[in-house]
Amino acid sequence: MTTLTTTSDADTDASPDSSPTDGDNTTTLRLRDLHTTFSSRGLTVHAVRGVDLDLHPGEITVLLGESGSGKSVTAKSIMRLYGANASFAGTVVLDGRGDLLAAGPKEMLSVRGPEIALIPQDPSAALDPLRRIGAQIVEVLRQHKAVPSRAAAKARALELLGQVGIPDPARVYRSFPHELSGGMRQRAVIAIAVSCDPRVLIADEPTTALDVTVQAQILALFRSLIDRMGSAVLLVTHDVGVAEEVGDRIGVMYAGRIVEYGPAAEVLGDPRHPYTRALLDSIPTPGVERGQLRSITGQPPVSGELPPGCAFAPRCPEAHDRCRAADPVLVDLPGRRLAACHLLTDDPDDTDTDTDTDSTAGPDSTAGPDSTGGPDSTATETSVETPAPAGEESAA
Amino acid sequence: MTATQLVGDDTAPTPTEPTAADVIPAPGDGSPSEATPKPALKRRRLGWPARIAGGVCVTFLLAALLAPLIAPYDPLADDRSNRLQPFFSGGHLLGTDGQGRDVLSRVIWGARPSILTGLIPVFVAGIIGTLLGLVAGLGSHRLNTVIMRTLDVFYAFPAVLLAIAIAAALGSGTSNAIIALSVILIPPIARLAESEVARIRSAAFMEAARVSGAGWWSIALRHVLPNAAPAIVVYCTALVGLSIVYAAGLGFLGLGVAPPTAEWGLMVNDLRQFTFSSPGISLVPAVVILIASVAFNVFGDGLRDLLDVKGDGR
Amino acid sequence: MIRFLLRRLGLAVPTLLGVSLVIFVTIRIVPGDPVASLLGPTGSPEARVELTHKLGLDQPIPVQYVTWLGRVGQGDLGRSIAKQTDALPYVWEAFRNTITLSLFAAAVAIVGGIALGVIAATRRGKVASAISSGVSLFAVSAPQYSVGLILIVYLAAGRGWFPTGGMRNTTGADAGTVADLIRHLWLPGLSAALVPLGIIARMVRSSMLDALSADFVEALRSRGLPEWKIRWHAFHNTLPSVLTIAGLQVGYLLGGVIFVEVVFSWPGLGLVVFQSISQRDLPVIQAGVLVSALAFVVINLIVDTLHGLLDPRIRR
Repeated sequence: MTTLTTTSDADTDASPDSSPTDGDNTTTLRLRDLHTTFSSRGLTVHAVRGVDLDLHPGEITVLLGESGSGKSVTAKSIMRLYGANASFAGTVVLDGRGDLLAAGPKEMLSVRGPEIALIPQDPSAALDPLRRIGAQIVEVLRQHKAVPSRAAAKARALELLGQVGIPDPARVYRSFPHELSGGMRQRAVIAIAVSCDPRVLIADEPTTALDVTVQAQILALFRSLIDRMGSAVLLVTHDVGVAEEVGDRIGVMYAGRIVEYGPAAEVLGDPRHPYTRALLDSIPTPGVERGQLRSITGQPPVSGELPPGCAFAPRCPEAHDRCRAADPVLVDLPGRRLAACHLLTDDPDDTDTDTDTDSTAGPDSTAGPDSTGGPDSTATETSVETPAPAGEESAA
Repeated sequence: MTATQLVGDDTAPTPTEPTAADVIPAPGDGSPSEATPKPALKRRRLGWPARIAGGVCVTFLLAALLAPLIAPYDPLADDRSNRLQPFFSGGHLLGTDGQGRDVLSRVIWGARPSILTGLIPVFVAGIIGTLLGLVAGLGSHRLNTVIMRTLDVFYAFPAVLLAIAIAAALGSGTSNAIIALSVILIPPIARLAESEVARIRSAAFMEAARVSGAGWWSIALRHVLPNAAPAIVVYCTALVGLSIVYAAGLGFLGLGVAPPTAEWGLMVNDLRQFTFSSPGISLVPAVVILIASVAFNVFGDGLRDLLDVKGDGR
Repeated sequence: MIRFLLRRLGLAVPTLLGVSLVIFVTIRIVPGDPVASLLGPTGSPEARVELTHKLGLDQPIPVQYVTWLGRVGQGDLGRSIAKQTDALPYVWEAFRNTITLSLFAAAVAIVGGIALGVIAATRRGKVASAISSGVSLFAVSAPQYSVGLILIVYLAAGRGWFPTGGMRNTTGADAGTVADLIRHLWLPGLSAALVPLGIIARMVRSSMLDALSADFVEALRSRGLPEWKIRWHAFHNTLPSVLTIAGLQVGYLLGGVIFVEVVFSWPGLGLVVFQSISQRDLPVIQAGVLVSALAFVVINLIVDTLHGLLDPRIRR
């Protein structure tokens, strides 16, 4: 892993792992059959229902989906940023650290920051409003002993502020969060996130709270930082434009599951899952007539109202009987892609599909590319519930 | 989190997309000892402490109401030969005071002036404060400024001291104590009423009422008041305990009823000379006020939590 | 910061004027004829007119107010009827003892209130939390005179652990030793501290809960900071609002320890006012109220300034 040094060796210094390779030998973080369930006062929400994902160094993997699809929960479950009301199942293996879901609280403290860092959604909410920016960076550096002394911490903090494209680091170092613009704040937050050279960066809607013009700058900065540092990135967004701009790989999430996965260009250019197609159809594209802009009919499933069979079936224009009867599994498609849709696997051989239907009735209905057959899934067909807050008809 | 959020509505897309994580706010780290978030659905029932407290309040009110029926002795009948009898002696459940008067009977009869001097100011201040709040909240900007800045002046006094100053200037007596307490209770109630009115005024149905040509009084009485009333009433309930303590305080200082009338505050002052000789009896009125204060506060607090009303911690 | 301070000072002026007006009104609403009571029943009509003129009572009310305000501005708060001395020095001497008691009580209230509030906020759903919430609600409801008497009966009278009274001046020539002062301070201090302690505890609890559910807490957690450091951040964020409440409580104490002073015979402003009530010594009562109100305004000013120092967002 390369480290951030000075700004002079900038973008040309690509890390050795920066090319989006597909070899599993370079996997930094490996999620297998991740389940996250929230329970509060008798109300249970099964937010993530068996997600498999591999993050590779220098590569940006985008989790794309509507509100309540479970993408943010997936991201934060990796860092276990939930309280006692959340329970997890599956494995999250960080290269060299073992299963994070089994790690103790102490161990998690040393993982968060130096190993896995988070860039939260709203930069103004991610900073302590009463502390100067500099102090907040120094605090993290000192916590993880990334610097030998207080003076070194300050020097490093100023350097980091410069690296995230802040024009006068000394002033921002002394500033309180409310004295900075949204874009500057997000740069400061990014500086904190990358301060300990994390191997995995999780960005939860990093540009959603920003102006469109600032969004583009932050995304460009993000891309160049990743290219330089070689971190593995998980970027969560509902914005297809963001996914298109920076994503190397895309996982489309729906109702707590990944329904389509593959290289960004292919998933966006030739979506195979009806949900991905609907999602892409719902965003306006320059040059396309207004009449062709479509919204997805209906709403994402509400907690406790998960339909039998495919969760997307009630909204799917191509759904047929089998979709309403059995939940499809992710299947390999040509071009190192995956999608979970009966339409892709349906073939006229009836007996074959029948056995397929039976097998999906069991608790473990997911099968990833390298499924290690993790711990028993908590998802039984009767108790499966998905979260769905305010539904959005269109994802844009 | 409310029920409507859980059900979900398909409104326009919001810029910051709410996720499942927002629906299930979950502060706390990975350790299982961490806090659970707010309950999914707020309980709409009084908790047991508030119910017990409510029972105690009702007992006090009944004692005041039925004093002639339940008091075992005449609260004013002194019996010099029977001074400072201990608890449970000679039919005196709570003993006798320095003049041989039955303490229990005096506590029961004392509930009348004590609770009345506590309750009436809350009523008076509640009405005047609500009116001021309505006028300030619905009137012109200038009127609002004048009223609210004037009220601010009263916040520059420690409330107890102001009540003492007013009561002292007017001279001792129950009615003057009531006036003094009403004056100091008006500002906080008016502030709450004004903020409630301001909140209601921005509601959509107000626009409809204005457009339909309703007059000021009609808007104030038909639309604003009914919506502001619950919060104001609950806030006033929470003030009763405080008011009773202040009322007894004025009595204690000699600014309430005149002796030999039984009144809790006056009894505290009257009996405190016996802290050495008869410590138990000397504490009776002090403890009675304490119980009443705690009961009314716990009950008022329970109501406040139930309706989620906020006041200023005065 | 200087501009912030100046603006606060500017805002204090109308408040002070309002305060003076309220006190002036309480002087004027005193029932009875002050001239008649000063002259006695034998006063001739000429003497009456002369005294009325001398007291300025023949002037229009606004003129009387301005005259009175001018005298107050020069430190002339009238003469004590009972003591036949100037009211201000008399009241001021007592007020210094009140300041001692109030500051002690405030220290107890702030330390205890913060401790109780933090426990109630961070041990949610546990016995410690329920107990500290209950204790704060009880404390808020506890009248000074009740608590004072209970403390006297159980800790002082008969046991002799603490003195029940007999406090001399805390400052000046006849002041006792510091040890003696502290011995005398405990019980009245605790009695006076209870209500503000409860109020501060409840404030700390609610703002600590707010801070702990703020988004930046998750961000801090994601940076691998240990739980105690996260709580420290949250606690820091409660300080501006807690400070405001605590400052208000100090102000209330300065004007509100009257019951404690009476119960413990503490030679403070409250005791002086109490004695003056029975003697109908109105100038002393008014001077006492004015001094307390003034102190209250000054404390609010200090609190505002500290608030500006603690919270950079309001410093404009």
